[in-house]
Amino acid sequence: MLLEINDIHKKFGGLVALQGINFSVGYGETLGLMGANGAGKTTLFSLIAGHQEPTLGSIIFEGQKINRMRPDQISALGIARTYQIVRPFRGLSVLENVTTGALYGAHKIRSIKNASKFSREILEDVELKDRAEDLAGSLTLAGFKRLELAKALATGPKIILLDEVMAGLTPREVNEAISIIETCKRKYNLTVVVIEHVMKALMRMCERIVVLHHGEMIAEGTPGQISEDSVVIKAYLGEQN
Amino acid sequence: MDSLLSPQLLAAAMITGVLYALISLGLNLVYGTMRLLNVAHGDLVMIGAYVAFIAFSLLNIGPLVSMFGAALICGFLGWLSYKCVFQRLLSNGQLLSRLEENSLLLFFALSVIIQNLAILFFSADRRGYEYLSAIVEIGDVRLTGARLTVLIVGAVISAAVVFFLRFSLFGLAMNALIQNRDASAIVGINVDRVQMSSLIFGFGITGLAGALISMMEPISPVMGFPYTMSAFVIIILGGLGNLWGGFLAGLLLGVLEVYGVALTGPEWRSVLVYGIFVLILIFRPQGLLGSGKTAR
Amino acid sequence: MKNSLKLVLAVVLCVFLAGVAGFADEYILGIGFTIFMYIALAQSWVVLSGLTGYISLGHVVFFGSGAYVFILIWGLVPVWLGVFCSGIVVGLVSLIVGYPVLRVRGPYFVILSFGLAELVKNLVLINEARMYVSMRPVFGAPALYQLYTAMLLLAIIATGLTYWIRRSRFGAGLRSIREDEEAAETIGVPVAKLKLLAFAISGVIPAMVGAIFIMRSGIFQSGDAFTPIVSFTMVTMAIIGGSDDAPGPFLGVVFLVLLQELLWVNWPEVYMIILGILLLGFVLFIPNGIYGWLSEKYFGNKKNVT
Ligand SMILES: Nc1ncnc2c1ncn2[C@@H]1O[C@H](COP(=O)(O)OP(=O)(O)OP(=O)(O)O)[C@@H](O)[C@H]1O
Ligand SMILES: [Mg+2]
Repeated sequence: MLLEINDIHKKFGGLVALQGINFSVGYGETLGLMGANGAGKTTLFSLIAGHQEPTLGSIIFEGQKINRMRPDQISALGIARTYQIVRPFRGLSVLENVTTGALYGAHKIRSIKNASKFSREILEDVELKDRAEDLAGSLTLAGFKRLELAKALATGPKIILLDEVMAGLTPREVNEAISIIETCKRKYNLTVVVIEHVMKALMRMCERIVVLHHGEMIAEGTPGQISEDSVVIKAYLGEQN
Repeated sequence: MDSLLSPQLLAAAMITGVLYALISLGLNLVYGTMRLLNVAHGDLVMIGAYVAFIAFSLLNIGPLVSMFGAALICGFLGWLSYKCVFQRLLSNGQLLSRLEENSLLLFFALSVIIQNLAILFFSADRRGYEYLSAIVEIGDVRLTGARLTVLIVGAVISAAVVFFLRFSLFGLAMNALIQNRDASAIVGINVDRVQMSSLIFGFGITGLAGALISMMEPISPVMGFPYTMSAFVIIILGGLGNLWGGFLAGLLLGVLEVYGVALTGPEWRSVLVYGIFVLILIFRPQGLLGSGKTAR
Repeated sequence: MKNSLKLVLAVVLCVFLAGVAGFADEYILGIGFTIFMYIALAQSWVVLSGLTGYISLGHVVFFGSGAYVFILIWGLVPVWLGVFCSGIVVGLVSLIVGYPVLRVRGPYFVILSFGLAELVKNLVLINEARMYVSMRPVFGAPALYQLYTAMLLLAIIATGLTYWIRRSRFGAGLRSIREDEEAAETIGVPVAKLKLLAFAISGVIPAMVGAIFIMRSGIFQSGDAFTPIVSFTMVTMAIIGGSDDAPGPFLGVVFLVLLQELLWVNWPEVYMIILGILLLGFVLFIPNGIYGWLSEKYFGNKKNVT
């Protein structure tokens, strides 16, 4: 297994954001993570990427325990995450944003020249090539989401954690995004974990889906199984009523 | 040790504390409502002090009257700087993204301008005037009349300001803005007006405190700087933007300073203030009295 | 091609400036000394504050500490070794001090930098008072043309360093910290390490500048060596010029030193007031500085927001 989540708990003061989460991700897999607002999905990503420490439990990446490491160390191991609320380096050019990832991530391409070259290639993959020289702050939302993806890809990850990279996009943009992700996955030999509210997209992309609800894991299975799971349906319908 | 518990020292601590509380309240208002870091704050103390000095030596008007003039003049400067500088800062997206840093640079510039204008007009010499300098004895405590007056007037004004902020419509609006600016705009508070008023009000009470200070200390164009530092120590101690915390912290710093100096010696005063300042920033930027949240 | 041309021009300029030391009079050397001093200072400031966004309003602390270390070892070691040592000592100390200080972010860091400088100044003042010295004269300092040349060298090193860092992997990391520290860490930038390095680098040259400066002024006085005016001038120069790249401070310094030369002796207050007004105007209206403005206007380059 590439990534193992073992009995993870996370509390914020009195609030239990995650409890007893257990699952693992295999090499080359695409795993979906779904759940209503506040279910704890983003929190789980923050724990994996080292931005927060779990209250209890361990996270194992390629046999190594990583939940005490700093985010940059984790990035160097080959884990990349994107942010749901995008965090571009607004004052740098789009290319410079990506180049920084190439220079410092798991790839550690030392020379600016090579890093730029590699970054341009990635910008082509995510269809942002035309904007390479523009200030990142000038992009649209769809552009920001692609830039998040490009920055993550540039670090040369083995696994990439995508946090709602399709939220707020038009149906056409969603389709484009899915095909970009699938192309990149093949090209860079990635394992993907994706958080998504757009159910259709999730069903299309993932081989397996994990469902969180109020911090607990209530289901795990293939898209087919999940869409028929009574607990999941109840949780979702319950939310709506 | 005996002398440390003396009422004499306690009175000194109270005087410093009340003045600090008043001065830092102005700084805190400006930070709380607009996230502006006013490093020219102490220069307002200086301006207030010079207003009182001039009123006394040229016009023969006592500081207890002229302090309101000082408040008006500093309030006017608040209005002017809002109109000329900060309205622009607060409405420009690019500048807003680094609002606190930019405001710091702007106030830094203002501070330099104000201080040097003061030197041009009044020369760099220290000045002072005699006012109520007779010694008054209350029990064991011996104070000059001026210091006693400062203590009483300072306490009254502080109480008045606290009540005003607590119960007036303006005070409530200001508090709302400090708590949550987006929501304030939604519920119909005129954010622009409240911001301008806080700058005027914050500057005004600081000028008033300056007039009080001129009664007991020599004044000079560069006298403001230590007050800037103390005020920053205080509002950080109390939690940035937390008015009540700041008020208490002002009293606390007064005590710390007076007793610290009594224990070590006057030459340690600056080291003491800056030392507390640096330690607080490094270890508890959210303030001693603040909650776990920082205003980052 | 274009870059090598620039390099040749720069080398010719440097050789010319160094050659000037041979025959120029005291006045010219004095102005040159001041210009180089502020170039070295402002460029060093840019390494920390321009690139990482950790705006230091207390950079004089390096300058003053360098001067103090230098005066303490004055006479014990050869002059130029002393200058070098003061840089090294201050650099090493800032590696230690920087660790807690740089965990403080944003506006808190800005005021902390200011308070820290004042704290150090007062500690030095007390220490000096204890040893019953209010000022220490520097006897037998090297001649002005030597100091001029040394300062020129520091200015060249500082400019080269900023130029190089700005274009290096290190600089890319620093600039990402300026934009969003947490996001930078996410893509692998070891933020704590880079910040600390930038802090130390940006302190070493000002420390050596401080050491050379007191040889020029002939006296060490703690109040003067740690005066906030130096910090203020440094910041203003870098911001007026444009603080994201080496040419920026260069433009700012030349402009301000000439202004200083015109006004300082007779109207120091007017000089400071103009400085203040310039800083106000630039922050509000031209936040990218002369360099940023020029390159946007004439080269269509989008310069970066600082
Ligand atoms: N730093 C924090 N401090 C306190 N509470 C937090 C923190 N981060 C998240 N939470 C809380 O933890 C819970 C889970 O949040 P999280 O952001 O992980 O949800 P999510 O599943 O990503 O939701 P969404 O679909 O809205 O993105 C929420 O109740 C949230 O308010
Ligand atoms: Mg989320």
